[in-house]
Amino acid sequence: MITGKTVQSRKTQALLLLLSPITILLGAFFLIPLGIMVVYSFLEPGLYGGVEWTWYPYNYGRIIGWPLNDYETFEPIYLSIFLSSLKIASLTVIFSLLICYPAAFWVSRMSERRKSFVLFLITLPFFANLLVRIYAWLLLLRPTGFINMALQSIGLVAQPLDMLFSSFAVIVGMVYIFTPFMFLPIYANVEKLDYSLVRASQDLGATPLQTFLRVILPLTLPGIAGGSIIVFIPALGNFIVPSFLGGSKVQMTGNLIERSFLQSRDWPFGAALALLIMASVVLVVMFQVVRSSRAQARGAA
Amino acid sequence: MNRILSSFKIFPSVFNIYGFLFLAFLYMPLALIVLYSFNANPINIAVWTGFTFDWYRTIFGGAAVETTFDSAFSESPQRIFEVVKNSFLVAVSAATIATVIGTATAIALARYKFFGKRFYQTLLLLPILIPDIVLGIALLVFFVGVGFELGLLTIIIGHVTFLSSYVFVVVSARLAGMDTTLEQASADLGAGPFTTFRRVTLPQIMPGVVGGFLLAFIISLDDVVITYFIAGVGSQTLPLFILAMMRRGLRPQITALAVLILVFSFVVATVGLLLRNRKS
Repeated sequence: MITGKTVQSRKTQALLLLLSPITILLGAFFLIPLGIMVVYSFLEPGLYGGVEWTWYPYNYGRIIGWPLNDYETFEPIYLSIFLSSLKIASLTVIFSLLICYPAAFWVSRMSERRKSFVLFLITLPFFANLLVRIYAWLLLLRPTGFINMALQSIGLVAQPLDMLFSSFAVIVGMVYIFTPFMFLPIYANVEKLDYSLVRASQDLGATPLQTFLRVILPLTLPGIAGGSIIVFIPALGNFIVPSFLGGSKVQMTGNLIERSFLQSRDWPFGAALALLIMASVVLVVMFQVVRSSRAQARGAA
Repeated sequence: MNRILSSFKIFPSVFNIYGFLFLAFLYMPLALIVLYSFNANPINIAVWTGFTFDWYRTIFGGAAVETTFDSAFSESPQRIFEVVKNSFLVAVSAATIATVIGTATAIALARYKFFGKRFYQTLLLLPILIPDIVLGIALLVFFVGVGFELGLLTIIIGHVTFLSSYVFVVVSARLAGMDTTLEQASADLGAGPFTTFRRVTLPQIMPGVVGGFLLAFIISLDDVVITYFIAGVGSQTLPLFILAMMRRGLRPQITALAVLILVFSFVVATVGLLLRNRKS
């Protein structure tokens, strides 16, 4: 005879069994490592890598430009690299948004069959190897690359354009890589767009521009915000794209982090830089959560 | 008059042209690599001088690299075979473990009510959301700190950490669209949770599980950034191998290798995406 109590305890057992692997996994190999990184960012770098267990707030001081000793002067070089990373990541978001927004409307008006095929085509490049995609743009943007050859052969430019190793190349590469990330959230939103509201706005005499700005844009804003966040986060911390397409000319915070871990072996400083990126990510996500919950509250009221 | 709505009808060609350009933007660069992997020109890959299979042959050891200029940039087929083997070992192990963990978690969150559910839902998104580099260095600091020797095992653990979240998302979507009455019927007829899972739930979510596995497999196989930090010296995967080759310069052999990886990724991802989207 199975009583209610044994059913309940069997359910609890099953739940424990199902949840313990992920709890152990994310506890041991995600939360603890992140915690150690936070601790490290406040410790003194060891002479040959590793850390000295002494309180050392200067890792963050160095980011702001604080001189470490008498030989250094106040120079916020790391801060300016961080600001230019913010700029590159923001431009990546803006350009991929401009490319994906009209495309989302294009796909949303298709027949079901065609739609699922085109959606598949747009998702597929996400699974192309990151390096292969960067490699393609190296071949395209080089002075002797495909774009320059084409421009020269039709006589548009006399000298090959110096496109590679610039912020431009980095942004192009990142827009290319993150386009599927931007497209899908926007599309999910545009797909649900209630056209009766668009019709109502038009019937009430709004111009197309007014309808777009006051009806369509606000209604698709959640998708825009979602896509922007999903693109902004990996763009901000990226180091592979700038190291190939930006060369030595474009430095992003990701490159600094990579170097402090694998070359200069200043782990605490690298950890502090990584936390600077994490802090920006958390700020952006928090901003979005507050904004959307406010919008929800307004909708409920 | 509905000008915006009718503009969709009046200018469908404008939208179609835009859409075509959008897809061209996504696929032209990839098509170009495929084209140039057959280019005979060993010095400038972007100038077409004739059709050849040589670059593919050098990968499989079928042809020796003729120009001495290029031999400095080329790798032996044995070396390529070794890194491919490493990559597959990592991808199969990591994707298998991640599929078990991700599926178990998805079932727990979809079918049980418990305290802290919101916490788990947020926590599971974090490994996907945080920048790769942050996860990579956090794992590096952790592994070195606790004295784990960096190698294939640390790569597998690192991959499982974020792949579980991907599988969780894919399987959760499947579970959300599933009819629960069959599970209830099975429980009412006296089947235990495990029997119900094996005989009722699992067959229904199977396409999602296999799809999740394949997507996890391909993401693991292609991962550069996290692997880069936790690979250690002796354990190179295929993407790290390509990274090292690319740093030495652009050579046609890389192009051919890139095309092979591209084709393989696309085939596996296609099957994965088809399974994920298949209606029950």
